[in-house]
Amino acid sequence: MYEAQRSLASPSRNPRMATVIGRLLGALFLVCFGTGLYSHFLQQPLPGMRLPTRPEFLYQFTEGTHIIAGIACFPLLLAKLYIVFPDLFTFPPVRSFLHFLERASIALFVGASLVQITIGLLNTYQWYPWPFPFRQVHFALAWVLIGSLALHIGIKLPIIARFWRKRADYGPGTEHLTDAVPAERAPGTETARLWGSSRPTGLTGRLIAYLDATPPTPEKVSRRGFLTTVGVAVAAVVGLTAGQTFAPLDAVNVFGPRKKGIGPQGLPVNRTSKQANVTDAVIAGWMLTLANSGVERSFTRAELERMPQTEVTLPIACVEGWSQMATWRGVRLRDLADLVGAGEDTSFRLVSLEQRGSFRQTQMGPEYVRDPLTLVALELNGETLDLEHGYPARMIAPGRPGVLQTKWLSRIEAISA
Amino acid sequence: MSQVNGAGIRAARIVLILLGVAGLAWGVWVMVDTVRLERLPGVALWIGAAIIVHDAVIVAAVFFAGVLLRRAARRLPGTIAVVVQGTMVLGAIVTLIVVPAMIAQGLGPKNPTVLPLDYGLNLAVFWAVIVVVATVISAVLYARSRRANQRPSSRQS
Repeated sequence: MYEAQRSLASPSRNPRMATVIGRLLGALFLVCFGTGLYSHFLQQPLPGMRLPTRPEFLYQFTEGTHIIAGIACFPLLLAKLYIVFPDLFTFPPVRSFLHFLERASIALFVGASLVQITIGLLNTYQWYPWPFPFRQVHFALAWVLIGSLALHIGIKLPIIARFWRKRADYGPGTEHLTDAVPAERAPGTETARLWGSSRPTGLTGRLIAYLDATPPTPEKVSRRGFLTTVGVAVAAVVGLTAGQTFAPLDAVNVFGPRKKGIGPQGLPVNRTSKQANVTDAVIAGWMLTLANSGVERSFTRAELERMPQTEVTLPIACVEGWSQMATWRGVRLRDLADLVGAGEDTSFRLVSLEQRGSFRQTQMGPEYVRDPLTLVALELNGETLDLEHGYPARMIAPGRPGVLQTKWLSRIEAISA
Repeated sequence: MSQVNGAGIRAARIVLILLGVAGLAWGVWVMVDTVRLERLPGVALWIGAAIIVHDAVIVAAVFFAGVLLRRAARRLPGTIAVVVQGTMVLGAIVTLIVVPAMIAQGLGPKNPTVLPLDYGLNLAVFWAVIVVVATVISAVLYARSRRANQRPSSRQS
């Protein structure tokens, strides 16, 4: 095992690099966790939870950030695993029960991290090749990961503290980290001290001898090359996909799963009328019904069009990370709520014409119902709403995920508190 | 490290470890609570498979690619070897993210606004661009090392 560790020694595989990359990755995990939790509570608020409606692009920002940070995790997680990989061959493999627990927790942390970012990425492609439900597992794993992260930091804290700042000297045995000694690596350096010692023999030894015939890259060059590669890789995966939500990068959005401007009326679609089983026959004779404690009023589209119209510019922001600004025109929801005598604190249930789907029925808290920007939208970007965007009428509210911007709206009913 | 610092770190460690265990336990409970029992082995399988795919496949590929690169680039200055290595890693990571998009696209997206781009073409262009950039950087580095060291380099032995 020492041999395995020794053979894997590389200038970038040191505790300082693990700390530098680790804290960036840790920060991204926290960002993903925070934005993910926010998105979760928007979709499943706890009782009495009031959610912010301003700035109106808030969800576009948090969910765009969630996906961007998740994608940035790919190069950083791979880099972190590259750095600490020789730890896999710690010898003896298990020293004590506590050590076993520590190693088991690392294995879970690594495996869960890889699964989390992979299923997150594939979810943005709407591809689900796994035998479990995405949302529930992604949410549960988020807790597993944030717990594992705290545990990991707790266990490694002395190393992290020691290598947190760039220093001229990290203490005895770490000279090779600071270019204080020539590039030649001898046994007894920190690498060897932490991750093994002694010269390898046998096949490994021959392999190492083969490698050693090659003059080693100067350590400083190697380390800088490593950091530069990680930095450029993060910039590439983020820069070439983030245009799906972040408009200034639209021109270089070559790998994003969505593209601004592609879709009916220039807007991408998440769930089509076909998927939702909303046909012309279903919307024939459509009326929007509002209900509040026994009072029910129904409106045809023509009647809604005759009511005072409001135009708002709000993003449609999907849980999958893409978003796009659009201009919507329609009737303020609070005007309709007033017509059925709903109070200021009334929550509503929004029902779609779609026959199945987890968002066929959703709830809307009073903070959105009373918001002047919340509309029952009839028009999109100056045209009659396309069927794919929810014709005859859809909901549009500030700061909510796209799945809650109910399309093919059919019924809006007050929930008796 | 001073005594106070040591005590502070010890306290922080205890808090972090306790919080960590609590978070982990909560995550496992949420998993068991919200995911049907017969689906749980699938989750465990994926986590196990992820470890194996990384620790066996990806690591081995990276290691042997590194060996070959180091060997192939032995007559070149170290900086160029690092540029070549970095370019391969960069290309590989972007490929890793884009290939699933191509597969998903091949399987047929649920609607035409999902995965609407020509990812294969874009990936080819990306590789071409980074190879060109790496070549230019390498040429500059090579010219510089030649200028700085006119006599035959000791690296060429």
